[in-house]
Amino acid sequence: MPTNAGTSLSSYKHIVAIGTTVKSESLESAAYEIPRKRKMRSDSAAVSGNSVSTPKKLKSHLPSSVPNPGMSEKEVVEDSNEILRYPVNLAVSDCLGTKSKWSPRDEEQMRAVKEALHVSKAPSTILCREDEQIRIFEFVKGCIDQQKAGSLYICGCPGTGKSLSMEKVVQQVGDWSTQAGLPPVDTLSVNCTSLSKTTDIFSKILGEIKPGKNANTNSSPLQHLQNLFSQKQESSSSRMMLIIADEMDYLITKDRGVLYDLFMLTTLPFSRCILIGVANAIDLADRFLPKLKSLNCKPMVITFRAYSKDQILRILQERLRVLSYVAFQPKALELCARKVAAASGDMRKALCVCRSALEILEIETRGSTGPESQGPTPDDSVVRMDHMAAALSKTFKSPVVETIQSLPQHQQIIICAAAKAFRGSKKDATVGELNKLYLEICKSWMISPAGITEFTNMCTVLNDQGILKVGQARRDKLKRVSLRVDESDITFALQEIRFFRNCLL
Amino acid sequence: MASTPRAKTFKSPTKTPSNIYRKSYLSPSSTSHTPQTPETHTPLRRSARHVSRKIDLGNDPIDAPGNDPIEGMNLIRKRERAPRKPTTDVVPSKSKKTETPKKKKKIDSFTPVSPIRSETIKKTKKKKRVYYNKVEFDETEFEIGDDVYVKRREDSNSDEEEDPEIEDCQICFKSDTNIMIECDDCLGGFHLKCLKPPLKEVPEGDWICQFCEVKKSGQSQTLDLPKPPEGKKLARTMREKLLSGDLWAARIDKLWKEVDDGVYWIRARWYMIPEETVSGRQPHNLKRELYLTNDFADIEMECILRHCSVKCPKEFSKASNDGDDVFLCEYEYDVHWRSFKRLAELADGDSDSDQEWNGRKEEEVDDSDEEMELDDEVLKSKRGGLTSARGGANSRKGRFFGVEKVGMKLIPEHVRCHKQSELEKAKATLLLATRPKSLPCRSKEMEEITSFIKGSISDDQCLGRCMYIHGVPGTGKTISVLSVMKNLKAEVEEGSVSPYCFVEINGLKLASPENIYSVIYEALSGHRVGWKKALQCLNERFAEGKRIGKEDEKPCILLIDELDLLVTRNQSVLYNILDWPTKPNSKLVVLGIANTMDLPEKLLPRISSRMGIQRLCFGPYNHTQLQEIISTRLNGIDAFEKTAIEFASRKVAAISGDARRALEICRRAAEVADHRLNTNKSAKNQLVIMADVEAAIQEMFQAPHIQVMKSVSKLSKIFLTAMVHELYKTGMAETTFDRVATTVSSICLTNGEAFPGWDILLKIGCDLGECRIILCEPGEKHRLQKLQLNFPSDDVAFALKDNKDLPWLANYL
Repeated sequence: MPTNAGTSLSSYKHIVAIGTTVKSESLESAAYEIPRKRKMRSDSAAVSGNSVSTPKKLKSHLPSSVPNPGMSEKEVVEDSNEILRYPVNLAVSDCLGTKSKWSPRDEEQMRAVKEALHVSKAPSTILCREDEQIRIFEFVKGCIDQQKAGSLYICGCPGTGKSLSMEKVVQQVGDWSTQAGLPPVDTLSVNCTSLSKTTDIFSKILGEIKPGKNANTNSSPLQHLQNLFSQKQESSSSRMMLIIADEMDYLITKDRGVLYDLFMLTTLPFSRCILIGVANAIDLADRFLPKLKSLNCKPMVITFRAYSKDQILRILQERLRVLSYVAFQPKALELCARKVAAASGDMRKALCVCRSALEILEIETRGSTGPESQGPTPDDSVVRMDHMAAALSKTFKSPVVETIQSLPQHQQIIICAAAKAFRGSKKDATVGELNKLYLEICKSWMISPAGITEFTNMCTVLNDQGILKVGQARRDKLKRVSLRVDESDITFALQEIRFFRNCLL
Repeated sequence: MASTPRAKTFKSPTKTPSNIYRKSYLSPSSTSHTPQTPETHTPLRRSARHVSRKIDLGNDPIDAPGNDPIEGMNLIRKRERAPRKPTTDVVPSKSKKTETPKKKKKIDSFTPVSPIRSETIKKTKKKKRVYYNKVEFDETEFEIGDDVYVKRREDSNSDEEEDPEIEDCQICFKSDTNIMIECDDCLGGFHLKCLKPPLKEVPEGDWICQFCEVKKSGQSQTLDLPKPPEGKKLARTMREKLLSGDLWAARIDKLWKEVDDGVYWIRARWYMIPEETVSGRQPHNLKRELYLTNDFADIEMECILRHCSVKCPKEFSKASNDGDDVFLCEYEYDVHWRSFKRLAELADGDSDSDQEWNGRKEEEVDDSDEEMELDDEVLKSKRGGLTSARGGANSRKGRFFGVEKVGMKLIPEHVRCHKQSELEKAKATLLLATRPKSLPCRSKEMEEITSFIKGSISDDQCLGRCMYIHGVPGTGKTISVLSVMKNLKAEVEEGSVSPYCFVEINGLKLASPENIYSVIYEALSGHRVGWKKALQCLNERFAEGKRIGKEDEKPCILLIDELDLLVTRNQSVLYNILDWPTKPNSKLVVLGIANTMDLPEKLLPRISSRMGIQRLCFGPYNHTQLQEIISTRLNGIDAFEKTAIEFASRKVAAISGDARRALEICRRAAEVADHRLNTNKSAKNQLVIMADVEAAIQEMFQAPHIQVMKSVSKLSKIFLTAMVHELYKTGMAETTFDRVATTVSSICLTNGEAFPGWDILLKIGCDLGECRIILCEPGEKHRLQKLQLNFPSDDVAFALKDNKDLPWLANYL
């Protein structure tokens, strides 16, 4: 949880407590968490409000509600009839009949679960994005029906299924156009990061429209495209073209020429382009292409919102449903969904957390095989709350406290000096000033101080660790230093060491 | 082969045993450059040789004394007879027993098609083997790393009976003690007196025999070499046979005995003659040039004829008197990619961490030197996969072998000739470049890395993943990953882990971040292309699942050191690299190493989202860990007092926790102690004590300004004292030159020094300003210029207090 750095002292104590309990008394902690959850299951709002592991503050980050929950349910039923496209699903569906019992020691099963949870395995149906998908599809369909160009901009946070949905839409469009008997649609999917030059996108488009006619050297690909779209074409080559530019913001140049030209292609009288741009920034079109508005060709914007906890839970369940065995406790999945939704709503992260929880379980079972030969109780062969909590704390826990505690002593003194210096309204100081404070502390404790070069080195190391922020300056001594962690964190971390207690009080 | 300019059909009647002949080896140095094969830049080899001696790598580096050549020769001959026994069909009884099965084995292990010798690696089933480092076989010692001649085929030893050490003169067909000279063109030997006109001594510079001279000048009627007298056949030396392809040369890579039938085997690493490479013999190839290949074969010891000597160019240029079996090897030839790599470059072109890494291999070999350890090492039939794995990860592959080779020859000479004292040993082992035998205090992290990599590559699918390793400098990040990879490599050889290819990249070594694409592509395919093309190919490879060339479906592990240097303005390089593992079929595992803890958070959210959550932190070492690291390194060397080590490690742990620094301090302390013990011979304690460590720490941690202040001129000292005095008086850090000058004049006056005058004082102020002992206000130099001490006044006081010239300075400080 990135926001943790700013939270109060008490939240730290709590997180630390989780981290320690999981190892030492994992069973106990599971025992005390599960009943509490169960009690509150009837009211989900209460769970998120009172849940120990989700700080209250973060609740405001939660997306307010699931869009059209009823409708998406219907979709799921429809979509589940679809043919399973992916080999993994086929393989798993084969063993559905056997109803094998899940055991973390079975490598085959473990592998199947891991694979189902891997980012690269696209699920057969994309849950919770049906609405957006339909809107994109309708847009493309409308454009193709009317044989007119158009542009669309899709934005959303990382890990919200934008690219995946686009793949699906392209497939749907292909299916639809063959069913409707229309000429097939040329599709060009470009990830803009893989272009070595931004203007390469035009040559790629041209190559898609007129394959094999790259020999034209006297005009640039862009000019060629512009000519092509501003003149009436003979009907044979008038197929529609779907251009999907993933990570579109990589096309932003200083003068924004490339992006502008790209969108302008759709406004040309005989253009056949349907341009769909995908990026993170919500206002890319507004910010960088104000001129488009005046030309009345502002792209339509579809926003992919961060997943809510229900959505994440559903997606995780859907991914695991193809397996014939239960690997995760439902509660554990819910915990994961809640935490991830509160932090970022990034699906990739949720999958990673699940996998790391699975690995924790794997290590645990592997460790327990040696001493006790008898089979484990059925309860501990699935991923429980405590595993998930451990994985989550590994992911989201801010390691500031442990980092500070493990630092060498002189670096701790520097942090201590900085905390003292920035206690008031002062927010930054130069390295020279900080050095003076450091020398004072050293003197008061009769420690021989490190030299100035050593001191600046230590500041750089602390900068690397994200504790101090050292600015740029020509001279070492004049660099501005500011603290990047909360003072209360430092106090809390250094309290443990008697040496510093007096200093900070 | 066709260009080997000699016909070998002469007969010689007798074989005279000993002679002294003289040859000078010269190289065709001025030749046109051809692009296919690298050209050897070898200094000319041009001295004469009076004693013909067999090269014996292991045993006698000392030259045989020149005063009694005949006796020397006999001795040598006696020794030489033995290794030839097996080859001359005077089969000893032991080998006779296994005669018939061996024949069969030999035949199937010797396929006549030379370029694919690696296929002859026997698919050994589970067999017990005992591995040795040294084997005495037919009274000759063979050691790992030795170069040997190997019989090529059973049928090609028609003239096997004679194996002349000393070749016959090309004119008189006698080999005797007269000095011989070697033609630089045909490598034939000639007695000086047989030449027309006879030569008195070996000429300086190139020398070409009359026959070759005629051939070269392009005259119509060629001057044929004289026919040998009837009944005598000119014996071909091993060297001739090798260079004409009838023999093979190889380096011994492993030695073992099959426990079942007691037959000794070696794993041979082949040398190739230029004719066998893809580009054939080029004009710039030397006559005696060989290429080391990455091609291996398991062969029986019986096939070894005897030692030869393959040298790197530097040694080769010196080895002019070493006889006929000297060869030059400067390049490695990759039989899979058909590319050349320079061995010497590979050896020294690495960063220190890599060298540490490579050094370990040698050490480990040395460790097990003494006893024949009984290993139950079982080689499974994954062999083929392994060799191709090497081919894939060629960025490492070349280095491994290259260094191994050079090191194996160089190290013994240095180490064995000189008995090291304990302190010297300690110094050597504390060098940063010396690779430790084990890595203490990082076992948890290494375990985590191992389980991460194994978990990623052991599945059939090999789901792509990503791990970010961070930690402050000197905490063993890179070395841990590399040793994990080494252990994995060993497991691959055992067959318990499926083969993979490993690409290691250091961000600092890339010319630009984009270059990483080319480097990765070269590592995977062996071809070098521009980064744009490489990016395209890699995208196809990882995102779309197309395979590069004939590469099979192996997972790829990519280690990127100093990951933060790949951050470009729009971060597209990192995006692409971290996006590949999220694609299906990519089979890519990325390990990123950097110092910064919060690098993923500093990156764009889309990149940190793809980076996943696998993080591993290498914290700074605490003093007990540092102590353990140092004592592990010094294991078995009694050079340090325990308290000294503890002192050093505590000192370092308090400031940075950097293991490199702790080692440096200890090494420096050992040097200080060495110096102390040398000057004071009476010291009974030969250990490094606390005081030495203290001195080393003073040198390293203490800022140099005190030293500078102690050694500045008298007037400068007075100037500084005045500034300190001024500071004490006013309490203001900043002062003007005007005030300081006034103080200086008053100080001088009271202590009977002559006031130097303002000009000189101003100059002194400027000088101190340039040393940055004081800070001067930039701009013009004038009276009201503001001055400030750059260091705390305590430091100045400390530096100037006990001054012998100016004892009164202390009054003002």
